[in-house]
Amino acid sequence: MNEPRQGEFRITSENDIVMARKVVRDAATALGFGLTDVTRIVTAASELTRNIYHYAQSGIMRWRTLNQAAKTGLELTFEDHGPGIPDIGKAMEMGFSTGKGLGMGLPGAKRLMDELTIQSTVGQGTTVVVRKWLKS
Amino acid sequence: MPTENISVIKLRDLLLVTVPPDPDDETISALQEQVLQAMVRHEAKGLVLDISTVQTLDSFFARTVAETVQMVALMGGRTVLAGMRANVAVTATQLGLTVGNALTALDVDRAFELLNTKPSKAPRL
Repeated sequence: MNEPRQGEFRITSENDIVMARKVVRDAATALGFGLTDVTRIVTAASELTRNIYHYAQSGIMRWRTLNQAAKTGLELTFEDHGPGIPDIGKAMEMGFSTGKGLGMGLPGAKRLMDELTIQSTVGQGTTVVVRKWLKS
Repeated sequence: MPTENISVIKLRDLLLVTVPPDPDDETISALQEQVLQAMVRHEAKGLVLDISTVQTLDSFFARTVAETVQMVALMGGRTVLAGMRANVAVTATQLGLTVGNALTALDVDRAFELLNTKPSKAPRL
């Protein structure tokens, strides 16, 4: 059995997008994900980390391994105290962006991962949680 | 943090640019600028972007590549994206990314072949 593992990473600069990718790549690879799934997870993390940097300037990414019944997975949590998302439904639409982004971050991350949940309060911040399960 | 090295090589009237494996946003932006300057300096008629070592193609990277392709086209050049890995292609497609009007090739060798054929024969995405 895999021992549960976890870690966290502060996002404060543009270069942290690259560093976050490295952290996630190592965690996903260690858990046993194949190359294509590792690439999916790392790419989703890149989009979500960039969202934090662009919209909230700083935030934190936490990762942990999940062991549920017969399933093993990786959970990434992206938390910031930025402006928040007024309309989550719209933010999940492809091509919708209030900033300089392409409007692909959230909907793209959702497609690359197995689960995505968002909690956001305007003026207080946003938390995005994504999960990917290992195919047994 | 220093940006990673970008290699721009001139081969006859074409440019070969090798993209580093895990570039940050600053490096990607610098790459665009270097490519455009080199196009003018060398009077190049085409560009091969070697992305065979690239591990993550996210929306910022894809947008900058698409923009660069468009800018090079306005300067009269054609761009070939060479060597995208299978896992990167799968991920980029699921994410919904496109690379504009770039031509694509399996590797650098074929990219040069493609640029040396007539434009009408080259398949477009």
